[in-house]
Amino acid sequence: MDRNRLHNQVASMRRSLFDQGYLDDQFIQLEELQDDTNPNFVQEVVTLFYNDSARLIQNIEQALNSGPIDFCKLDDYMHQFKGSSSSIGAKKVTNECTAFREYCNAENAEGCIRSFQQVKQEYAILKRKLEVYLQTVRQASQTA
Amino acid sequence: MLEGKQNGQVFKLPKVILLATNITNVELEKAKAAGFADTVIMKPMRASMAAACLQQVLGIGKKRQAGKNMLNGSMALQGLLCGKKILVVDDNMVHQRVVAGALKKFEVAVECRESGKAALKLLQLPYCFDAYFMDIQMPEMNGFEATHPIRMMESKANKQMNGGMDEDSGRKGEWHVPILAMTADVIHATYDALNAGWMDVSKPFEEAKLYQVVAEFFKSTRSNCFT
Repeated sequence: MDRNRLHNQVASMRRSLFDQGYLDDQFIQLEELQDDTNPNFVQEVVTLFYNDSARLIQNIEQALNSGPIDFCKLDDYMHQFKGSSSSIGAKKVTNECTAFREYCNAENAEGCIRSFQQVKQEYAILKRKLEVYLQTVRQASQTA
Repeated sequence: MLEGKQNGQVFKLPKVILLATNITNVELEKAKAAGFADTVIMKPMRASMAAACLQQVLGIGKKRQAGKNMLNGSMALQGLLCGKKILVVDDNMVHQRVVAGALKKFEVAVECRESGKAALKLLQLPYCFDAYFMDIQMPEMNGFEATHPIRMMESKANKQMNGGMDEDSGRKGEWHVPILAMTADVIHATYDALNAGWMDVSKPFEEAKLYQVVAEFFKSTRSNCFT
């Protein structure tokens, strides 16, 4: 019965991630690309996303904290971040990236700083939820 | 520079595929009219779209399945794409992995490079890619700059083959590499395309319609795929 419970848990977590707008259709694309020849595809891509994001967050922090703000550079970083987040279907994170870029375009430093807090927050929430979700998926597949 | 013929072999120049996040039909037509791109795909790329566009630009499926309903098309498509070599050029590692994953589903041999410069190194003979998926907005060299040498090779090869025949298919030798470039910002991409000076008109086709049809098709037959 453990197995059933785990599978139900997976299904319910997954549904909630979509219902609450953390993930969109693009994540389903990743799931569909996972198969026997590519059994860890989702985890691999998500891990890449974490690594990429950590790097970009650091770069953006630096750019925001060192002297006069280079909005072009900031926009480049955020373009990358948005590219990564949208590639895995991280809907809320992607939206925050879009908002940030608007502040960049307007050269609104305060707005950028505030918006970046939102980006980091959404990213942290998503990362936590995804980690738990994927761990549960792994557990469920191991008891199958 | 790529020669049209070498040792009696006729080279097939690769197709380059354009991926974009948001695109209106007007912008789509402009990018295609700019000559460097034959098709535009929205980024992030959906697996079904990759295959559909590849099929379209590689001209397969049309000839071999003319008039047939694509009921078993996905299996056939997989078979037809099997063995094709694709180069994915994208400085975003996450997106690169997704594109590669999608293409590998169709048993396409995928190579990835992170920059236009790195990709151009692979243009040296022997020339072995059937298609390119090229990100437009890359830092050092954007997709337009990276595909320019391909176009140059093409026109040179065309001039040389003027009046000549393609030995394989009996067509008149006319190289045209459909270019599919990836972009998250199609407005700037179109602007860059026009600035890059490629204004020849390329073959138009209804991408949006194609996507719709193929997306529906892939949704319904997904369970039959990839056995």
